[in-house]
Amino acid sequence: MSGLVAVSAAALRGSRAAWAFGVLALTWLAAILFADGFDSVSNFRYLVQTASFLGIVAVGQTLVVIMSGIDLSVSGVVALSAVVCAKVASGTGGGATGITAALALSALVGAVNAAGVVWLRVPPMVMTLATGTILAGALLVYTDGSPSSAAVPLLDSLANGRLLGVPWAFVLWLGITAVAGWLLHLSRTGRYAFALGAGESAARASGVPLGATAFTAYVSCALLAGVAGLVLLGFTGTSSLTMGNPYQLLSIASVVLGGTSILGGRGHLLGTVGGALLLTLLTALLTSWNLSEGVRQVVLGVLIIGLLLVYARERRT
Amino acid sequence: MRERITTAARGNTDLLGLLALLLVLLVAYQHYDPSLLSPASVTILSAQFLPLILAAAGQTTVMLLGGIDLSLGAVLGLAMAVFATYDARGAGGVMTAAALALCVAVAAGAVNGTLVAYAGLPPIVVTLAASFLWSGVTLVVLPQPGGHVPAGLVDAYNNGWYGIALPAAALALVLAVWKLLRTTRHGLALYAVGGNEHGAYASGLHTRGVKIGGYALAGAFTGLAGIGLAVQTGSADPTIGTPYTLNSIAASVLGGISFFGGVGRMRGTVLGALVIGLLTNLLLFTGISPFYQLVIQGVILVAALALKTYVTREAAE
Repeated sequence: MSGLVAVSAAALRGSRAAWAFGVLALTWLAAILFADGFDSVSNFRYLVQTASFLGIVAVGQTLVVIMSGIDLSVSGVVALSAVVCAKVASGTGGGATGITAALALSALVGAVNAAGVVWLRVPPMVMTLATGTILAGALLVYTDGSPSSAAVPLLDSLANGRLLGVPWAFVLWLGITAVAGWLLHLSRTGRYAFALGAGESAARASGVPLGATAFTAYVSCALLAGVAGLVLLGFTGTSSLTMGNPYQLLSIASVVLGGTSILGGRGHLLGTVGGALLLTLLTALLTSWNLSEGVRQVVLGVLIIGLLLVYARERRT
Repeated sequence: MRERITTAARGNTDLLGLLALLLVLLVAYQHYDPSLLSPASVTILSAQFLPLILAAAGQTTVMLLGGIDLSLGAVLGLAMAVFATYDARGAGGVMTAAALALCVAVAAGAVNGTLVAYAGLPPIVVTLAASFLWSGVTLVVLPQPGGHVPAGLVDAYNNGWYGIALPAAALALVLAVWKLLRTTRHGLALYAVGGNEHGAYASGLHTRGVKIGGYALAGAFTGLAGIGLAVQTGSADPTIGTPYTLNSIAASVLGGISFFGGVGRMRGTVLGALVIGLLTNLLLFTGISPFYQLVIQGVILVAALALKTYVTREAAE
């Protein structure tokens, strides 16, 4: 018995991603036992569906954070993709053209981020911050301040439909996680990303291609933010210039709560899934208690700090 | 004399470009608004720029320590809310409100600093979580835009008080205090801990105390910025602080403050903030849609940084 405890304690110390799922399971259990309405299937379904929007962005964010970058432009890309798709789809082009245009532009933003980081040597935080600012301005110019709404059947079924009772959005998120998991943990590019995150100069000296890895990570991240924007567009049926704003900080919080080091080089993609589910669950719980917006944010902030203190402290060097 | 100028120029090479840019902006500004150098214009402009300059000063303090403050906008909003919510009557009341707001901001900064110093969490993660916390507290203090600042104070601040540009005087005072502090061992300790934490510790500095003090000082700058913004606008808005987080980072980075700590001068940050402020105003004059402001701001940030990196690399080779 004590051996089992020791083994599981060692596993917990070794894997911070496991912590995220442990805390998630405990919180969910507590929610089912003590809060109203968390024991129904429909509630569960709604939670995983809404967690998918954040989760898709957070998976992309993980790819960038592992190579010790950061993407602050995801909020802009989420809005970009939804606004562009809605405008094209409600105008002359059809839904398919809108989706293609939205994803192509998202990928372009990722490429610009990578180009700035790799070739101009601008710190990732400033570079992505700048592209995010530029995007916010460009969207204002593009929409003249009033973005359009559009019903795209494909996106609507993607966001609200179900496959064998499971929301399509969640299925999409799991599929994306599987592909990204392969990219990060099984492919050569993933190895490169970890190496760059652990120490850039050492990695480059041993022949790790910074350019190719950075382009893959930043373009994937922006592309996923674009996908999240499309799913959100399908979910709400309208686009807005600020619809991406919550995802900027929450996606980073999901990554960190999932046990990935913000300094890069350490972490697991699955942890991010746990982190995104945990954040969504906590938000839903706080909302169900009818707390005011302010108190909710205070509690969320304190909870995040508390959880990070428990399992996400950096080792002292 | 000539030798002295050359020496001074050599010490501030990276600032010369910024200074030249500022001069170009001023000349262009003069073209659109010939009354630029009149006392009235100085009062109005300094009232408008004071919040950004002080917020950037706060961000710079944290960045010199090798940290970053993503909760700056939230703390700014908090100080603004506390100042405007306190029912101030007469000069005594205003002083009490200001002292209260400043204390709250310093306390928020000290909490951030304590977490950074003792928790073993990276500053970006701590201040990210703290941004939820402090914006939540702000919403509890002031759920909706409102509050009240005595009209006489607002008038004196924005239109001058017996011919004195109050905001400019306040700025000069704050910067003088910083300059004085820079020469004491506390100011030196700030640079030492930011430049080389282990070295600073080995030479007997209480690095944790220095960090807490630095974040508290940043809180003081941010609090003053919030008070200034409340007096300028005559009321408070719980969400108005948000853009200041990123703008303060932009101003600091433009001003040559390194992300890695220990490198940079406050005068650079002030120049950076002035450039951003003047540029925003100029764009309004030129009749370009204000929507383009964000685009141009982002482009300038990247261009300035890339140019600086390029020049430094040339010099190093």
